[in-house]
Amino acid sequence: MPIHEKHLIREENLLTHDKLVIEGVDVSGHWSTFIQTRVVSDYNEKMEDEIAALPGGEHINRCWQCGSCTNSCTVNAINPDFNPRYWIYLIRTGMESELLRDKDIIWQCVSCNKCTYACPRDVFPEGVMKATSHWLTLKGHTPKSPLQIFDEEFAGQVFAKGKIEESRLIRRFFARTGQPVVQDWLLSMVKRMIKYLPVKMLIGLGLQTLFHPRARGWARARAAINEYVHEKEAAHRKALGLPADAPEAPDAQQPQPHLDRKALIAALKN
Amino acid sequence: MTRPVLVVGGGPAGLSAAHALASLGQSVVLVEKENRLGGAPILSGYAKLVPSGQWAKDAIGSMVTRVETNKLIEIRKGTTVKTFDGKPGEFRATLANGTTVEAGSAILCTGFTHFDSVNKPEWGFGTFPDVVTTTQVEQMISSGKGVRCPSDSRKPERVAILLCVGSRDRQIGREWCSKICCTVSANLAMEIREELPGCHVYIYYMDIRTFGLYEGDYYWRSQEEFKVKYIKARIAEVTSNGEKLIVKGEDTLVKRPITIPFDMVVHAIGMDPNVDNMLISSVFDVKLQRHGHVERASTYSAMGGTSRAGVFVAGAAIGPETIDDSIAQGQAAALAALGAARSAVAAAAE
Repeated sequence: MPIHEKHLIREENLLTHDKLVIEGVDVSGHWSTFIQTRVVSDYNEKMEDEIAALPGGEHINRCWQCGSCTNSCTVNAINPDFNPRYWIYLIRTGMESELLRDKDIIWQCVSCNKCTYACPRDVFPEGVMKATSHWLTLKGHTPKSPLQIFDEEFAGQVFAKGKIEESRLIRRFFARTGQPVVQDWLLSMVKRMIKYLPVKMLIGLGLQTLFHPRARGWARARAAINEYVHEKEAAHRKALGLPADAPEAPDAQQPQPHLDRKALIAALKN
Repeated sequence: MTRPVLVVGGGPAGLSAAHALASLGQSVVLVEKENRLGGAPILSGYAKLVPSGQWAKDAIGSMVTRVETNKLIEIRKGTTVKTFDGKPGEFRATLANGTTVEAGSAILCTGFTHFDSVNKPEWGFGTFPDVVTTTQVEQMISSGKGVRCPSDSRKPERVAILLCVGSRDRQIGREWCSKICCTVSANLAMEIREELPGCHVYIYYMDIRTFGLYEGDYYWRSQEEFKVKYIKARIAEVTSNGEKLIVKGEDTLVKRPITIPFDMVVHAIGMDPNVDNMLISSVFDVKLQRHGHVERASTYSAMGGTSRAGVFVAGAAIGPETIDDSIAQGQAAALAALGAARSAVAAAAE
């Protein structure tokens, strides 16, 4: 919904009490519905710097609110609440509570980077979206998004072995996000693979699944990568004012409000 | 022989006009109401000027010295013009100090008056000591004392600059854009951030009109390098909770009301017509335009002309003007005034 069409009264701001008496006046029931104030009474001045300290958020202060990012956005085309321009403004001015209202959709950026090419100020809104969802998770506002879980599993395998093994990646991803391993699309894909892939390749895949081979001489590379990743993660926590040993966010278990895939594909085709 | 050119006002435009005339060999009488030359940048203690970044006392100070040491320029300070009669080539002015000036032509460089923020009482100036004007912040910086809250000399941690105070406001009969305040505010915001890196600066605007090509060096730079925050909101009122100033308004991009605590609120005050313009208009018999500035003749006929032949105008007397443009207009008017003084003499000789 464009900002100018936004309704001024928000459902979560409506308060109705079954039984409430204030200073001798009965204000129970629907006829005495209260509307909580919309007034913003302070700015969180740390928010912009914190998000700017995470990868992708570095150039957020260049934004001057032209709206090119939102206009060019793939996700906005199917979900008008997905509004990078608006979120960048909220972050810059430090309107935290307003940003948190959208915390469950910010991670849905599909990284098509149309905004990156449209932005006249080189803000890299796609990076800002990544940094923002990262910030939301680190701050404990959201569980780890399916996207982050997938990235962790993918990168984790590469770090550990120097290569990935797809079936393990998918099984781990499903397990962590609470999805069933057997899914229609996966089943039909496997059936067709068995039917059409050359036998030699199938045997190769099977052996990989069983033995998880690793890249040769990987131990040193792994140690260096782990050290670097650890260093970066510690720096991010520090920038956000979090203790070094803060507990990690839980994995997203409930299926989060997800995009209509058909609509997304249609939007991408346009 | 050509009579001297009378230059009224010793600010940037007047200093520029006087110097330009003298450098062409023309004698000048410069009349200044105050006891000191330099105009607003000197008298009001401006800090660093836009766009040069030079201190006002150095930049305008050098213009003053250049004029004061020029033998062709006679300076009469602490006085005003009482009467002005005659025609091009043979004007005669009497001054408040009793002296007279025989002049070939005249240039009005009478400048402007800073808007008095007391006329917008809802924004707290005069009620709360920590509500100040851009001129006061200029003085805090130029005096070397730094930006401090007047109430207790503490360093502010959050400053709001309100644009269009005394400009673009029908409520108080000031419909004009004062042209300089956006750029001045961006400049001051950067100065504040430089002196007090821990202090957050917010600029509340209706539109940003960094006049000229100052958008890159001031509007963008203040955001990209200095992280000054621009918020589209015209403030409704400035109050206090006893500890902090409370700025109330509507953030129009979020469509939500705001009541934000601040340590200091700065009014970006506009440029009023000189308070003496009615008097100047009657003494010199020149018309004022509808806002009360000196009315300018068509630029296509004579640069800096007024409604009276032989009387010219330059700088902020015409309307809100930058220092650089006032200097340029001073030179342009000097050329026109020189022409008027000389051609009248030539015509009389024929």
